[in-house]
Amino acid sequence: MKLSFSPKLSTFLKPSLVTNLHRSVCSSSISSPPPTSLIPQTPLFLKPPIHSAASSDLQKWHDWAKSLASSVGSTFVDLDNGPDSTLLCRELKWLMEDAIEEESEGLENNQRSIRLRVALEELYMLWKQRVEERRPFQYVVGCEHWRDLVLCVQEGVLIPRPETELIVDLVGDVVLGNEGLREGLWADLGTGSGAIAIGIGRILGTGGRVIATDLSPAAIGVAGFNVQRYGLQDVVELRQGSWFEPLKDMEGKLAGFVSNPPYIPSDDISGLQAEVGRHEPRVALDGGINGMDDLLHICKGAASMLKPGGFFAFETNGEKQCKHLVEYMENDAGGSFFNLKIVPDFAGIHRFVTGFHK
Amino acid sequence: MEAHLRPLCSPTAILCPKPSNSKLPQLLQRPTSFTSRFWYTVSTKLSSSCRFPPTVLLGTPDSQVSTGLNTDTREWAMQDFYFLRRDVETTVARVKETRDSACLQQLEQEVADLELKAADSSFWDDRAKAQENLSALTDVKDRIRLLNEFKSQVEDAETIIKLTEEMDSVDNGLLEEAASIIKELNKGLDRFELTQLLSGPYDKEGAVIFITAGAGGTDAQDWAEMLLRMYVRWGEKQRYKTRVVEKSQGEEAGIKSATIEVEGRYAYGYLSGEKGTHRIVRQSPFNAKGLRQTSFSGIDVMPLLPEESLKVDLPEEDLEISFSRAGGKGGQNVNKVESAVRITHIPTGVTVRCTEERSQLANKIKALSRLKAKLLVIAEEQRASEIKQIRGDVVKAEWGQQIRNYVFHPYKLVKDVRTGYDTSDITSVMDGDLEPYIKAYLKHKYSMKVTAAGVV
Repeated sequence: MKLSFSPKLSTFLKPSLVTNLHRSVCSSSISSPPPTSLIPQTPLFLKPPIHSAASSDLQKWHDWAKSLASSVGSTFVDLDNGPDSTLLCRELKWLMEDAIEEESEGLENNQRSIRLRVALEELYMLWKQRVEERRPFQYVVGCEHWRDLVLCVQEGVLIPRPETELIVDLVGDVVLGNEGLREGLWADLGTGSGAIAIGIGRILGTGGRVIATDLSPAAIGVAGFNVQRYGLQDVVELRQGSWFEPLKDMEGKLAGFVSNPPYIPSDDISGLQAEVGRHEPRVALDGGINGMDDLLHICKGAASMLKPGGFFAFETNGEKQCKHLVEYMENDAGGSFFNLKIVPDFAGIHRFVTGFHK
Repeated sequence: MEAHLRPLCSPTAILCPKPSNSKLPQLLQRPTSFTSRFWYTVSTKLSSSCRFPPTVLLGTPDSQVSTGLNTDTREWAMQDFYFLRRDVETTVARVKETRDSACLQQLEQEVADLELKAADSSFWDDRAKAQENLSALTDVKDRIRLLNEFKSQVEDAETIIKLTEEMDSVDNGLLEEAASIIKELNKGLDRFELTQLLSGPYDKEGAVIFITAGAGGTDAQDWAEMLLRMYVRWGEKQRYKTRVVEKSQGEEAGIKSATIEVEGRYAYGYLSGEKGTHRIVRQSPFNAKGLRQTSFSGIDVMPLLPEESLKVDLPEEDLEISFSRAGGKGGQNVNKVESAVRITHIPTGVTVRCTEERSQLANKIKALSRLKAKLLVIAEEQRASEIKQIRGDVVKAEWGQQIRNYVFHPYKLVKDVRTGYDTSDITSVMDGDLEPYIKAYLKHKYSMKVTAAGVV
């Protein structure tokens, strides 16, 4: 089944139905939600600047927000490795960037009225949510800056992490000298906000295509918005369903696939940083008892999906999972892969497994 | 008035100058330039009628209408005339000096070369290069035009002086004219000199200022914040687009570091001399006993170069790129907006950091271009033709030497160590009044360069 995403941008900009979206999505059955209900929230920076505030009032808000951030100190760090005041102040600066129509030169002229994309009262509420409820900053502003992209995100969709930026580079490296891969058909399994699919869609050749799948209709909705925003409707196709399921017609045809599936062991979920554990979709994080349920499922399907010479790359929880998966692919998968590699992320943690199909 | 003017009315006074003064006829024969038009007006009016109001002489080509008669016609005392004559003499010398040091011949050769290139059929094949070429051509032509204007203007003033000397009487209007020529000319020379001083390859660009608090705890961090304010004020006064792109707060007060981007022509040229250690002496507000305390802050400045002008190839293996990421298991386990990137150029030890962008890749790209800009400047300073030739040991002296002292107590004084320029008006300086310091340093740097060139 193919979901088509051709509604005009104005449809996306309507804020109706949005507030309850993530809640309804989380509880909705996986099978067949009507696509019309998936209107993604407009990220703050794309909202029209129809509000305004005196610069003195905005300054008052800023001072309040800053002191709230400062009051945190290292409490969250000690509690669950959360953000400290410095990081919160950085977020505050970015929140201002997104909320204020033009970056103003300081806030010194008190008489000036400043155009805002959100009412001042809502700014108070948003920052309260950020600090007191630990709502992730990216959900507060509705977007995440990732690589050279600005992706819309919202509750119900995993916020793409900086580590994952590397997967696009890994694909970039293999398609560089290989026309077959560059002009081929790729898949991003569990695309979430569409980050990797869009990243790859932008580096493939003119003939290259990406099919991005996700179980969650919320994710499909958000990914559709992002694909549209980058004008990649003809390059990235979205299909709703679990892992390889919506790709049955593509068996043996894929030039490559990538995935950042849930890989956190179930027992670790409760101890996660509040921003992650309390607010991000569990379905995108929880990988079962040892965190490898979905990774193994994907590994099993890899051989039948990839065409000869096809490439794969996926993200893991670290060294232990990487080792285990490489062993699995070398032995149990009947030696149908070659050039298996473990690639560390920028922090030096063994994060990715890559390889080619024979 | 009439009596004063009468001798002038004799056409011979103007049209038959002494053989030694051959400038005037030349001027008369060139009807295109502003000055000659002026003289042309004078001579025709003189020959046709003696009864013109003196203000006509004074009129600029734009307004020959009589205005401000009273000020224009004030009587010139002999003393004033001598002052003016001295001013003219000094300006003549200054124009000569400027023209000599500008190497007019070389400039003309440059124009010829650039025009030859522009005439080439393949000129537009590389658009960027062609544009660069054309703007260089305009630049050089402008300089030559200015230098020629200086000469003709100063000659006009000189002629007036000579005329007045030859006549026994004084023509107020003419002398006013000469005085205003000299005044404008000196302004023009100032501007020209400043652009001469700013002739480094990156001087025209915008600038990035990095402020880092030195050791000394809260007092030093407070000092760093005072400097931040000072440079932001300076930028705003220059009408540069000034943005604080990164600021790391101190624990108690002040800042640990900050980054300012200053966009606008010549920002780097002006600011490059601010690089170094800035020292403050005061009764520290953070010191319970109110004792005198000395603190330091480091200022680093590099040009804000457009990506396409950074033609530096840095091999991957020469770079150590580290990403700050707050511990733990990373990946899905963590969500922090910590995307700082730090790049060290291993051969030279030069390190840059970028934290202000919102994604890792964006920070990396920005850090890399900052590193390139920094290496280019160091290469320029060390006169190395390639990055590879930069010596690491010279680079390592982090902010270089102490360049300026700001003493708040026991007396008030801001003194530049290099130029010796000082002022006791510390408030204005902290409000961004840095012009005199910047100009003094640029002149100092220029004279050092000239001396060095003279020795070789």
